[in-house]
Amino acid sequence: MPFLQNLSNALVLASTYVLMAAGLTMVYGVLKVLHIAHAAVYTIGAFIGLLVFSWLGNFWLALLVAMIGSGIVGVIIYRTTYYYMLDAPRIVPLITSIGLFVMLTDLLQKGFLMGPYQRAFPAGGAGMPRIRTSFISITPKQMLVLVVTIVLMTLVYLLLTRTRIGLGWQAASMDRDMAAAVGVNLNRVVALNFFLGSALAGAGGVLVGVYNNSVFATMGDLVSYKAFIIIVLGGMGSLPGVIVASVLLAIVENFMVAWVGYVLPRDAIAFLVLILMLMFRPHGLLGKE
Amino acid sequence: MLHIHDLDVFYGHIHALHQVSLQVNESEAVAVLGANGAGKSTLIKSIMGWEKPSSGQILFQNEPLDRLPAWERVKRGLALVPEGGRLFGDISVADNLRLGAYLQPEAVIRSQMDMVYELFPVLAERQKQIAKTLSGGEQQMLAIARALMACPRLLLIDEVSMGLMPILVKRVFSVIGELRQQGMSILLVEQNAYESLKVVDRAYVLENGHIVLEGTPDELRQNPRVRAAYLGG
Repeated sequence: MPFLQNLSNALVLASTYVLMAAGLTMVYGVLKVLHIAHAAVYTIGAFIGLLVFSWLGNFWLALLVAMIGSGIVGVIIYRTTYYYMLDAPRIVPLITSIGLFVMLTDLLQKGFLMGPYQRAFPAGGAGMPRIRTSFISITPKQMLVLVVTIVLMTLVYLLLTRTRIGLGWQAASMDRDMAAAVGVNLNRVVALNFFLGSALAGAGGVLVGVYNNSVFATMGDLVSYKAFIIIVLGGMGSLPGVIVASVLLAIVENFMVAWVGYVLPRDAIAFLVLILMLMFRPHGLLGKE
Repeated sequence: MLHIHDLDVFYGHIHALHQVSLQVNESEAVAVLGANGAGKSTLIKSIMGWEKPSSGQILFQNEPLDRLPAWERVKRGLALVPEGGRLFGDISVADNLRLGAYLQPEAVIRSQMDMVYELFPVLAERQKQIAKTLSGGEQQMLAIARALMACPRLLLIDEVSMGLMPILVKRVFSVIGELRQQGMSILLVEQNAYESLKVVDRAYVLENGHIVLEGTPDELRQNPRVRAAYLGG
């Protein structure tokens, strides 16, 4: 029983990583910008979701509005900052991004927004079934996280591989100038990129908020560090890489704790994985040299 | 159709193009010949919108291109075969072609695909293959085919012969000759003056960022300076 149970716990954790890291890797793929402020978008998503949920009491509507809202926030961040820095040295957007992250988190902690407290997000499992057999038990909340993640990632995958703008997005992440020279409108593709990536992060924020029944202004901090590990592990800019790396990291964290015990705090384990990775395979699992 | 007036381009402090003026007429094939570093690629990049000229004007069908991003220039009928091909390496041959026709409706994509597969049968055989696994020659064919997918009014070709084996150079230039026969307007920049002069109507010679000569292939072949510098005496 412990093996399957640990695996399912790991997959739930991996889902939240995927939603967060997908947007980061998408932004990196097209713009080559390390979008640290993405973590704030995740928190904003959770916050919008909570607001709508406490107002209307419907989880699905809250999720939808949170995704659209964080998508728009992501596009605004791009158009007001990175857009002007595309030809600047990489350090410029990086520092801007750190500044933005600190600013947005501070802003969220103000009394008129989230304030410095934790708030409950009592959406439960949003009607998801419970699965309980002798091998494995999956709670409705875990079900919710898994199902929403799988559905969203499938939709994003179809959009990026089966539509024309998705093909343009792929081209832009391989060679931005050449994509423009075949007619891909880079402004549109990059805006789409930010919208999708930010909407996914917003969904991640909502799901984690519901899962832990807790939303707070600094909830994005730790998950953003984890997301950086994941996009490096996955090979910067690779979406399949993000999924593989998320699952891997979640499994390592869970099984280390379950089998070896707390030799190190679980977050320290994650960073140990990153350091080992950088030493032995610096271009990531699925990345290119 | 393409008129360039007094174009100046700088790379930092390097003055890459000096007061360059040239034109390409409807259904005309024009070559810009020059050695490495003469400014040929800079010229092409400026026309495509990859480089920002500091002064001068580029008119395409009487419309100034200066403020338009590359994709708007594609919309107006420019297509580029860039130096080194610059294929989208991680996706299939067919997807590269589809991207070439990014702004075309689905029906045009299908008919253009048939057209380029007829022109380059080897690409039809390799439709599903990932672009970066093609041989050097096949990659160059695909780069040309991708540009043709856009149904261009003016085809820009940057150093298409570079790094190709002589037999492939001949093949590529014969394709360019065929396209010219079909009435396509072409601007190609090349080091290979010998092959280029066989397929164009007119040519310019670019040296250190200056246009130093202009003429028909016959005139240029007679010119002692061209013979010495570009045609091996």
